[in-house]
Amino acid sequence: MKAVKLQLATRTLLNPGAQQWAKVPAEEMSLGGTPLHRQPSKYVRAAWAGKPLGAVRFLKVQAAHNSKDIAFRLEWADPTENRDYGDGSVFPDAAGVLFPLNGDAPLESMGSADAPVNAWYWRASMADEDDAQNLIARGVGTAEQTAKSFSQARARWLDGRWEVVFSRPLQTDGEGVRLQPGKASKVAFAVWEGSSQERAGIKAFSKRWQELEIE
Amino acid sequence: MAKTTQGKNGAGHQVAMVFDLNKCIGCQTCSVACKVLWTREEGADYQWWCTVNTQPGRGHPRDYEAMGGGYREGVSQPGRRPTREEWGGGWDFNYDEVLYGGKGQSVFLHPVGEEPKWGPNWDEDQGAGEYPNAYFFYMPRLCNHCTKPACLEACPRGAMYKREQDGIVLRDENRCRGYQFCLEACPYKKVYFNFVRQVSQQCIMCFPRVEQSVAPACVRQCPGRAVWFGTLDDESGPVAQLVRKWEVALPLHPEFGTEPNVFYIPPIGPARLNDDLSFDEDTPRIPDEYLEGLFGPRVKSAIQTIKTEMTKTREGGKSELMDTLIAYWWKDMFKPYDRDPAEIQWT
Repeated sequence: MKAVKLQLATRTLLNPGAQQWAKVPAEEMSLGGTPLHRQPSKYVRAAWAGKPLGAVRFLKVQAAHNSKDIAFRLEWADPTENRDYGDGSVFPDAAGVLFPLNGDAPLESMGSADAPVNAWYWRASMADEDDAQNLIARGVGTAEQTAKSFSQARARWLDGRWEVVFSRPLQTDGEGVRLQPGKASKVAFAVWEGSSQERAGIKAFSKRWQELEIE
Repeated sequence: MAKTTQGKNGAGHQVAMVFDLNKCIGCQTCSVACKVLWTREEGADYQWWCTVNTQPGRGHPRDYEAMGGGYREGVSQPGRRPTREEWGGGWDFNYDEVLYGGKGQSVFLHPVGEEPKWGPNWDEDQGAGEYPNAYFFYMPRLCNHCTKPACLEACPRGAMYKREQDGIVLRDENRCRGYQFCLEACPYKKVYFNFVRQVSQQCIMCFPRVEQSVAPACVRQCPGRAVWFGTLDDESGPVAQLVRKWEVALPLHPEFGTEPNVFYIPPIGPARLNDDLSFDEDTPRIPDEYLEGLFGPRVKSAIQTIKTEMTKTREGGKSELMDTLIAYWWKDMFKPYDRDPAEIQWT
């Protein structure tokens, strides 16, 4: 996957409907459900036994940067726009972008004690003005929000599809993955479909790290 | 990685409560005491950590007993979360219109917005049976701070913990991300979701009060001397006496497998009336099978023990059990947590 370099204001990059995104090459990837045996609680394993995990099966991803900020545009089909918990029987839709914090990390276990991962996380119940959450995880169930997040997310749901753009300055002094043009990185993606009760470790994700090249 | 203190009984100092269902009059002082203290903010306003329901009845949330969770032979049972409608509550009322609108008796107080379909005590006083043998009783419910809390084990983030010093089950709201597996796993459905803060919440056994030797609000406010509070290891205290020595205080739905630490003295109730209006002393109006369905097979011997001791005192004898149940001295019901909260400078 390549994050192409564009002369565009970050404000434009952050607009999922910006027509400039049409020219950015897209990666179509299959997503798979998280393996049930990795769920850390016996209750979750019992409640989800025999049930399909990961309702969203395909994700389209584009990446671009303007030397200052890098943006990832995610697009996927979801017939139900879940922006909240409804009558209590559903969850908000959500999406995330994941990186190894320091070069490499195990993906399926959400990192490890020695090899943490860094997630940018958006939930449809967030207001546009909210920052996306910046999380560090060292294994399943350990994700912690950092005090400050430098990532932003803007989303729109249109005709049965979510379009979400995550952006973050390439350079940050906060706790987060170091990204720079010319340096190869690994990246992965996750999507939660709220009306299918997805949250926590119940999600669809890109089963392998993607190689990310930043132009 | 989940922080679990499963099976560990708070280093022996497990706090526990006993409700006497022969005394509860359903005045709701306990539920309101808790509400006023803990659940007033938006997002928590529909939460009733302590509820008092008429039994037989559908309870709160509605039909909670059929929502799964808990354990069967040690195995986690899937459960479901209640819906907003099944909880009800948190309604806004037209206070301004009624109190200040100058419309006199032409308007009355009612919830505004969607019509309520259930609430924290919706089927109050309906009960069951046919006149003249209709029957009901009141049963307060709150988080049981179980010895094997299914909620705690369910959390994939280990956001819940059971305190060593007193066995109180709490949630670290900074670790909670609102996944609500705890709501699904609790078989008593006493965990609530704060839709505004996006974290789950439940009764905290008034731990800030307990730490200052003040009884929980529901306990101290009860005007009916219907509830005891103490630690199970305080052998001379009323809670241990009623639960362990006399075995007249029983857990609700023991088959849920979580080992609750809230107990109930079963209601004895009146005798059935025959068609000729004579008493059938051998048949209680509250059917044994119904009470067994709530408290398990030990309920019959619990009631028998109480009846035997009542007979003793009726015949002029002495009964330690009856002395305990009568509760002559209010503060003895929750010693040593009998400190007056009004004398504390709470910050």
